[in-house]
Amino acid sequence: MRIARPALALSLVAAFCPSAHATPEEARAWLARMSEALATREYDGLFTHSNRRQSETMRIVHRMEGAYSVERLVSLDGSGREIVRTPREVHAYLPDRGVVLVEPRTDGGSLLKALPRPGAELDAQYLLKVRGGSRLLGREVRIIEIRPRDAYRYGYRLWLDEKTAMPLRSEICDQAGRPVERIQFSKLDMHTNMPASETEPSVDASGFRWVRSARPGSDRRVAMAAAGWRPLKVPPGFRLVGSRVQSLPGHPMPVQHLVFSDGFASVSVFIEPGSRTAPAPAEASRMGAASTFTTTVRGYMITAVGEVPPTTVRDIATSLAPVADAGVTPPPAR
Amino acid sequence: MSDQILEQMSALLDGELPQDQIGLLVRRMERDTELKRAFGSYVLIGETLRAPGGITASRGFATQVQAVLDDACTALPASSGTHPARRAGWLKPAAAVAVAAGTAFAAVLLIRPGDQPGSSGVAAVADVDPVPTTIADFAAADSASPTPEQSQRLAGYLVAHSQFATPIGRRSVWTSVLAQDPGIARVAYETETAEGL
Repeated sequence: MRIARPALALSLVAAFCPSAHATPEEARAWLARMSEALATREYDGLFTHSNRRQSETMRIVHRMEGAYSVERLVSLDGSGREIVRTPREVHAYLPDRGVVLVEPRTDGGSLLKALPRPGAELDAQYLLKVRGGSRLLGREVRIIEIRPRDAYRYGYRLWLDEKTAMPLRSEICDQAGRPVERIQFSKLDMHTNMPASETEPSVDASGFRWVRSARPGSDRRVAMAAAGWRPLKVPPGFRLVGSRVQSLPGHPMPVQHLVFSDGFASVSVFIEPGSRTAPAPAEASRMGAASTFTTTVRGYMITAVGEVPPTTVRDIATSLAPVADAGVTPPPAR
Repeated sequence: MSDQILEQMSALLDGELPQDQIGLLVRRMERDTELKRAFGSYVLIGETLRAPGGITASRGFATQVQAVLDDACTALPASSGTHPARRAGWLKPAAAVAVAAGTAFAAVLLIRPGDQPGSSGVAAVADVDPVPTTIADFAAADSASPTPEQSQRLAGYLVAHSQFATPIGRRSVWTSVLAQDPGIARVAYETETAEGL
């Protein structure tokens, strides 16, 4: 089943939102330009990623291979980890673990599939403002402010280069407008015909363990059972936009992957058979703006992750229940 | 580490490194683990020095850190570099601390990275934004390094999820994957609920 893609729908935000300094059409146009620039331009930048706990400098390189975008993100001063998105796969190099996680790219790498699509459901969840008159990195910028109407989602502030619409600085903010995460570029160069070597990983992965997704259908019984879960109630504005059974690197069994979206923020829920041991206590964690919540229900481990406040992932994860009337009942814990 | 490298890193963070030297320095950083770590400490310390009041550790702990910084500044020999004004800024104590005290570096890790509009050494916003700029705190129950299995499992989830996030959201999720494991903090929902919902 194809998952509806809330991703790249930044232009949705502006569709029906009022703006103090610009028309909604102008704001929508800026966000659409940003999405297109991020997906189609070639660039090489250094930025500092800061959250409450730490700050790291990273390099991002984005180039095009025909209609396919290729991207490389590397931590320059921290873990040494890298993520490379090739036209077909996403590779996460974890040298501290001696592991490379390999995830098939679900959009097939097609640029056309990655471009934003308009939508109208956001007005109830976000307010939009556009401000101008600032400079960053010596460039004129516009500031797009996306404010959440409640505490179930984060807001965004985006400093967009007037010329290229590239975000030179971005902040993810709580409902009070306080940043919980900041990405600020200290260098951003636009390129044409960037050499492929720039998106090659710098990590020497020889000797690393390559952890790939198992082949789908390796255990159909478990997969079918896992597919019988649905949410009883989710936070306002969020709805189930897709469901699929997939394999994840390092997971022996297929996992049901549900995607919830409010049209801008998204939450993924992964449901998989738990271990034979006693259920682990529910656990919540936060990494910058990403929140996770893991709990065990009827022998299944349910994990919700997303760039939303911790309350949102908890409420979604704990709302899931087996769908008895679907004729699919999860088997007991192994 | 040579003074020339220190100068180049300082200039890079100030946005003053000539274009032809940026690529060489970045490639060198990608290959040189020690250089990566040193650069990270400069970024952290630089942000700390630019963000007075952004301390999340106790006052006593912050005072100790400041004392280390002061001692390091005093002990650092005069610069022989070509950018004395810049080196007289935040890099000098940063460099000194980096070589002087591992405890200082550990302490700096507990200091909230924050900045003020226009105060960044690398990029300044011309107008003052009437919005909060300090990184928000949150209710953390505790923090602990996850097991390798937990770390790998979370990374797998985040990579899978990132494919359904917005471009900005995906960048945020990816940076979480790239961050070091101590970046994971457990959440105390009681406080979170009282604050937000």
